[in-house]
Amino acid sequence: MEGAIKTVVMQYLSSARGKENLGGKNFQKLVQSQLGNILSDTESSSAVKEMMRGLDDNQDGKVSFQEYMTLVGYLATSLSEQKASGQEDKH
Amino acid sequence: MPSELETAMESLIMVFHRYAGKEGRSGTLTRRELRILMENELSGFLKSQKDPTFVDRIMKDLDANGDGEVDFEEFVSLVLGLSIACEACYRVDLRKSQSWNL
Repeated sequence: MEGAIKTVVMQYLSSARGKENLGGKNFQKLVQSQLGNILSDTESSSAVKEMMRGLDDNQDGKVSFQEYMTLVGYLATSLSEQKASGQEDKH
Repeated sequence: MPSELETAMESLIMVFHRYAGKEGRSGTLTRRELRILMENELSGFLKSQKDPTFVDRIMKDLDANGDGEVDFEEFVSLVLGLSIACEACYRVDLRKSQSWNL
């Protein structure tokens, strides 16, 4: 679990390249390279922009680490629910 | 082929469900299950903790709906808190090394 948390953090930091936040281009690259199997539409730049707008709580045009973690938490919760309902189907 | 981030998310989900199924409701962690999870999976982090009531305090903080158990969404709050602490540490390290070629 510690390794997984480290990976989640390092993906953000390497995309941010030393800056406090992710700009639009770097967020798009992160989504396309790291979330392509979970999300449809990662190849569509307008869909990713819409996602970024939805994440951007403070509307500063950038994605902060907290906002990034909101996305990761939301996706992990969705995946977890899929797995749980999948198990129910098997019973 | 899953990416590193997708693999990490999968790993967090698997850890949660591995510990959540033993007692109480099958999709949630009891206090005991949470303690065992943290001792086995977060041993590096716990070594730095001096407070013996730490797990109980974490349990109280995580249990947003007050039912005495931690569901996955509440567990995500733990992951978020640890990730924020982890990000702060790595940012300091990166600043020292001044290298962004991760």
